[in-house]
Amino acid sequence: MKISTILAAVGLLLPTVSVDAENLPLPMTEIAAGIFVHNGVQDEASAANEDGIANIGFIVGADAVAVIDPGGSFAEGAALRAAIRARTDRPIRYVVLTHVHPDHTFGAAAFCGDHPDFVGHARLPGALAQRGDYYLRRLRIALGDGATGSEVVPPTLLVSDRLDLDLGGRHLSLEAHGPAHTDNDLTIFDENTRTIWLADLLFVDRIPAIDGNLVGWLKELDEVSGIPAERAVPGHGSISVPWPAAAEPERRYLEAVARETRAAIKAGIGIADAWRHVANSERGRWLLFDDYHPRNVTAAYKELEWE
Amino acid sequence: MTRFTSALLVVLVLGGTARAEPSEAERAARWADLKHAIFGDRVVEDAGDRVAIDAPMRAEDAALVPVAIRVAQTLAPEIRGLYLVIDNNPSPLAAHFLLGPMADPSEIATRVRIDDYTYLHAVAETADGRLYAAARFIKAAGGCSAPASKDQALALERLGKMKVNFAERTKPDEPVKVKLLISHPNNSGLQMDQVTRNYIPPDFLQNLDVTYNEQSVFRLESDVSISEDPTFNFSVRPTGPASAGVITAEIIDSSQRRFSQSWPVPPTPQM
Repeated sequence: MKISTILAAVGLLLPTVSVDAENLPLPMTEIAAGIFVHNGVQDEASAANEDGIANIGFIVGADAVAVIDPGGSFAEGAALRAAIRARTDRPIRYVVLTHVHPDHTFGAAAFCGDHPDFVGHARLPGALAQRGDYYLRRLRIALGDGATGSEVVPPTLLVSDRLDLDLGGRHLSLEAHGPAHTDNDLTIFDENTRTIWLADLLFVDRIPAIDGNLVGWLKELDEVSGIPAERAVPGHGSISVPWPAAAEPERRYLEAVARETRAAIKAGIGIADAWRHVANSERGRWLLFDDYHPRNVTAAYKELEWE
Repeated sequence: MTRFTSALLVVLVLGGTARAEPSEAERAARWADLKHAIFGDRVVEDAGDRVAIDAPMRAEDAALVPVAIRVAQTLAPEIRGLYLVIDNNPSPLAAHFLLGPMADPSEIATRVRIDDYTYLHAVAETADGRLYAAARFIKAAGGCSAPASKDQALALERLGKMKVNFAERTKPDEPVKVKLLISHPNNSGLQMDQVTRNYIPPDFLQNLDVTYNEQSVFRLESDVSISEDPTFNFSVRPTGPASAGVITAEIIDSSQRRFSQSWPVPPTPQM
């Protein structure tokens, strides 16, 4: 069973379909048999990077393909689609949206013609309703014409706990998490290669962004650390990292933010100043620290002052 | 003013929208218009150093900008009302505090949404109707239509719940410093659902009454410019060794939900 799957995956490497000249295929790395990941740039969204800042990719089975995060814009989604079509003509049956953030979702419109199931956390529709319009306006400001075609695409298949997707000789086990990085985080475990696709539950090198629940994130991180995976795919940073060792820097940062924000609240330091007093030992250890750390502490403060 | 004037102000601001960064003269003209809409023909004096606004120059999160209004001790005993105006917000009159006999007007603080680079104005009103205004410029943008609720399930489960923290007192005649937290989405109604093309309806704190032993500390008339999960820092006048004191907060939101909660004030430690 395993061997046949691996052989099938190897067979897929031969280009079977010509490249769409309109969309240059996105550079992909096959991190494990049949799992292809594109490495997002470690930067903020801009016209130059087409919002291609997240790690995105696809998983190929004997019968079908599942996209895991279609990318940050229609343009990036189309380039991802071209990368798939350069490798296989199997149908794109699923487009998994790991969470609401724009760098992971706005490429979805590029796959509408494939009529896949768009798979999301049960809380994703609510989050898209709250935030989609705002994200789209911000994308248009950041990318200008580069945002053309990008749309909010609602999920058609919801996961409230767990869901298995069958790609033919390949089972993907999806898990809907409690509020952590956002309140709608999905992870994907590929049994064949023992790969856990964590998306933004795991940040590597780039500072984690707290946009759900800090205490919940630490809890979910403990839970996923118990998953017997050989490697993980983080939402940002190296596309394949050893698991669970790669969780340690993120855990250290989140724990420092929780501990020191609680201390700041107790000391009567206000919400606007708290970040200056919190987790200073982490400065210099993360990319984009100054862009996100003050907001992270503000979010942590607002959460933890209710304890 | 018996009714909150936000509807009027919304019309006024939308009528005067300009996309380019306004000049100082345009900002002054906007404040003149707002002043007239809120206070009519009454004279609004420059407060000088008698009223101050404390806010960060540049906000890290435009949906959560802490703002404190401070009134100098020389003026504080005369103050009965405080207005907070965010000139360039869609609904500029963010808060009107009507101070009761138990209030210590020297400092009151909350958190607000700021939609664009703007002046904030704080206006203090005396018992005999004089108005003193202070201004402060703040750099923040996007706070009103910014997505709310990082954790929507929690927000729903906790809606209407309140919590207070009392600062420790060392002397019986010291004002009781209170921080009140209210769990409420305080939805602005400015977020559009891209799928249904409908706006998510506004749902916000309309009135907050805070009392101490059933006497008013303040009544707040408020609006969508107050942040999600509103917080209020205020002080209650000294009332001796207040071991029997009870603080009560009661809110009514725009969906006509009512919530009320009470807390005993911790006694002053024996000296």
